[in-house]
Amino acid sequence: MSKSLKYVMVALYVLSITACNAQIKNKNTETVKIYGNCGMCKSTIDKAGHMKNQANVDWDKETKMATIAYDSLKTSKADILKRIALAGYDSDSFLAPDDTYSNLPSCCQYERGKEVSSTMDMSANDHSQHSNTMTKMKDNNPLSAVFDNYFALKNALVQTDGATASTSAKNLSTAINDVKMGKLSNDVHIVWMKILDNLKTDAQKIADTKETSLQRQFFTSLSNNMYEVIKSSKQETPTYYQYCPMANDGNGANWLSKAETIKNPYYGSQMLSCGKTVETINK
Amino acid sequence: MKNNKLIIIILLLFFGSKISAQNVVKYELTVTDTIVNYSGKEKRAIAVNGQIPMPTLTFTEGDIAEIVVHNKLKESTSLHWHGLFLPNKEDGVPYLTQMPIEPNETFTYSFPIIQSGTHWYHSHSGLQEQIGMYGSLVLLKKEDDPTFRKGIDDLPAVPIILSEWTDIKPKNVHRMLANANDWAGIKKGTTQSYSEAIKAGHFKTKLENEWKRMLAMDVSDVYYDKFLINGKNESQLLQFKAGDKVRLRVSNGGASSYFWLNYAGGKMTVVANDGNDVEPVEVDRLIIGVSETYDVVVTIPNEDIAYEFLVTPEDRTGSASIYLGNGKIQLKSRMPRLNYFEGMKMMNDMMNTDGTMDDMGMDMSYQQMDMNTVMYPEISGNPKMKMDDKMEMDDKMDHSNHSMDANQDIVTLNYGMLKAPQPTTLPKDAPVRELRFELTGNMNRYVWSMDNKVLSEVDKILIKKGENVRITLYNNSMMRHPMHLHGHDFRVLNGQGEYAPLMNVIDIMPMETDTIEFASNMDGDWFFHCHILYHMMAGMNRVFSYEDSKPNPYLPNKKWAYNKLQSESNKFHFMAENDFATNGNDGMVMLQNTRWSFGTEWRLGYHDDHGYETETHIGRYIGKNQWFMPFIGFDWRYRDQNGEVEKNIFGQANTKDQRAVLSLGAEYTLPMLVILQGEVFTDGNVRFQLMREDIPISPRLRWAFMVNTDKEYMSGFKYIVTRHFGISTHYDSDMGVGFGATLNY
Repeated sequence: MSKSLKYVMVALYVLSITACNAQIKNKNTETVKIYGNCGMCKSTIDKAGHMKNQANVDWDKETKMATIAYDSLKTSKADILKRIALAGYDSDSFLAPDDTYSNLPSCCQYERGKEVSSTMDMSANDHSQHSNTMTKMKDNNPLSAVFDNYFALKNALVQTDGATASTSAKNLSTAINDVKMGKLSNDVHIVWMKILDNLKTDAQKIADTKETSLQRQFFTSLSNNMYEVIKSSKQETPTYYQYCPMANDGNGANWLSKAETIKNPYYGSQMLSCGKTVETINK
Repeated sequence: MKNNKLIIIILLLFFGSKISAQNVVKYELTVTDTIVNYSGKEKRAIAVNGQIPMPTLTFTEGDIAEIVVHNKLKESTSLHWHGLFLPNKEDGVPYLTQMPIEPNETFTYSFPIIQSGTHWYHSHSGLQEQIGMYGSLVLLKKEDDPTFRKGIDDLPAVPIILSEWTDIKPKNVHRMLANANDWAGIKKGTTQSYSEAIKAGHFKTKLENEWKRMLAMDVSDVYYDKFLINGKNESQLLQFKAGDKVRLRVSNGGASSYFWLNYAGGKMTVVANDGNDVEPVEVDRLIIGVSETYDVVVTIPNEDIAYEFLVTPEDRTGSASIYLGNGKIQLKSRMPRLNYFEGMKMMNDMMNTDGTMDDMGMDMSYQQMDMNTVMYPEISGNPKMKMDDKMEMDDKMDHSNHSMDANQDIVTLNYGMLKAPQPTTLPKDAPVRELRFELTGNMNRYVWSMDNKVLSEVDKILIKKGENVRITLYNNSMMRHPMHLHGHDFRVLNGQGEYAPLMNVIDIMPMETDTIEFASNMDGDWFFHCHILYHMMAGMNRVFSYEDSKPNPYLPNKKWAYNKLQSESNKFHFMAENDFATNGNDGMVMLQNTRWSFGTEWRLGYHDDHGYETETHIGRYIGKNQWFMPFIGFDWRYRDQNGEVEKNIFGQANTKDQRAVLSLGAEYTLPMLVILQGEVFTDGNVRFQLMREDIPISPRLRWAFMVNTDKEYMSGFKYIVTRHFGISTHYDSDMGVGFGATLNY
């Protein structure tokens, strides 16, 4: 490297440091509590609160305390905490919207205060209920990760979101490989062994593409196999086996859902509500 | 008011004295200029009794209202009582029901209150409504009213008036709209340029859109700096506690914004619309059209939490909030940005190449099938989702309305869900008068009309007292229109039979057909117009006039006044632009109204051998789409090139050295918005020219080109820096390469 280039780089480095330091005027620094869990939460919280030359947030995942520094003439603590709450994180002055909270990655779903959960009951919606049951299932069903990822995949297809569907399918693949078969009951184990290979192939094929039309083809057989498993295994809450006669080139296709309302994964918003529940699996 | 430096405000006294014996309720309103600061900049606004919004006026059915207006402005004003049944002379439309209230004049409105419900009032003069002249008007039921609803009419009620603020003077907003200035699009991030289209995988969509001669699409046209609830962007009502039910009397006093209403504390119950009771209906959200009113009941679910009532304009560029309750604030999630290219694709499918709309046999009505849903990420999901071809559109129709309003978790109110609590049928034996209007418009030139005619091109529509007037409205334009009728409520024939709901504003979405009817039982002249302020000022108005009406003491010369009213909504708009470039000055000035255009263009070099030339055209736009404009012109040029003779491609000679000729020509807008111009000059020369300016390459970069049969050509780029300033470069066959700064007004 030539000498002059080095000088330039040093100069740039020095500049960037001064740029960072010369950020916030009329600086006011406070420490506030923000509810959250993990490192992923930290990056979301810091990013949501940050505003160029106006506000900086540094949240500590151990103490759940955030140091916020801001230009008191341009913004306020309330503005910052409001932005963080809109990203899904409660504080002592703002509560995050329920749907934003339940869309946080599961590792980020920190425990909310009592008053919040009762709000969720008031506005009882499928989402909050089913995300709660999911976490419960995780504790006692060795297949819960498989089911969770299947539903995530289905939801991605409802949204016609090929990229998310591919990621969910990949997670599903991993979850399938990670199932501890020793913990499966005898009946379930037999079914599981029967469909395991097909399940793996379909999940992998969906993961391999981002084209939703291809993903939907494999999703048809994936859903049929998943139905076999879910029917044999123990469920805390009902699962709905649903059918749309128009899907799969008019041959019809099935899928599983935790909500009774039809949300068709084969068409997305085109014909979201086409279909009917053919069986309620309740054990 | 944020800025109470003004001494005038102290002078404004608010008298609200009730004289119960005569049952007269009197308000004194003083209208003054004021300075406000909503966005960080101090701007002029209009305050009444020193406040924005204007004070809430409350009456009880049976009262006599007496409202004294003192005009302390330097311009005339008026007040219209939106949704009220009153004598025609009290209706407050200058040049239609009264003369304008001139500066330093006092005018008294006086009328009996013969109805109840949530209404509002606003200035009907020019664009004053945009800068502060709106307020709530609450008419209470008498307690012994047989329609008094326990559990609704006795709830604590809060008047809520919604509005928006722009730092740009409303007159300039209107001028920019008429000139198809895309600054609002840049501010909103909705330019929908080619680079954005390619990134979103929608290049073909954009191409087809321009092929069909459409400019960037949007759900609203004006960029606003702030959105306000009762004059504030954020506020809190501390008096409510857990378990309380609150009735919000919401009026949309915005000049051009539809607003979504959402509540963080659960569902909302809609109990009234436009001041008329409806059977309670529970919804997750609703959209309130410009000038509509809705009464919604909300519950405070928990102790020590305040719940956000969130108001979002339809274009979702901002929001305003009011928190109900005391304690931690429970927020509502923000509405995600619209998927504009999906909307553009949908528009392409619905638009014929001749500029008319094709509803593909869907028979849409009463907001029941919201085509904009394709743009709502919260319902249609990922923006990458593909809108299918026509075949599948047809399939979709078999599944009827449930598939269009796909996300059934979210219940959105539509007019079909509204039902009056009592029968609303009209007198049975009255003769029926059928009228039909097509709502028409031209986005590119911002001309809005009915049956392709603006108010200045039509007479009053005569109706007879005692008739039942039934109006069918079909929206053949690309925007939704809130159509408002003064002085009457109409029944909206939404399938509820005898219980059809009563309204005085009906929002009609593109391609919808709605039928309304009312009993003509008044006297005088009543305005019927689109309540989007800039559409009204563009001429989207009609007047219903009762035959043999009594003379109006406030308006001695009705014929003269109607001409004034007509000219108010067909004013000329001015625009000017000049590129100060290294190789010369390129510019134009233009003066246009609904049909006429006066324009001059110039190219001025810095020395004689580059030359100087100007072209002046006076033209008239023809047809609904205004793609065709014949004109007469005058060209003058001077250039010192030693008599060198140029030939055009038809072999006609032309020295260009000194020429002053008249011309006859025409402009036609071709697909891709390219303008073809043909011109015959008095010296026998003929010229054809193709030109397009403002091809959106990126959000702020525009490409322009011109080529003609005189073998002249030009190509250039402009980067838009601010509303009035751009940096440009171009190559011109006469003057060569140039760099410069473009100023525009």
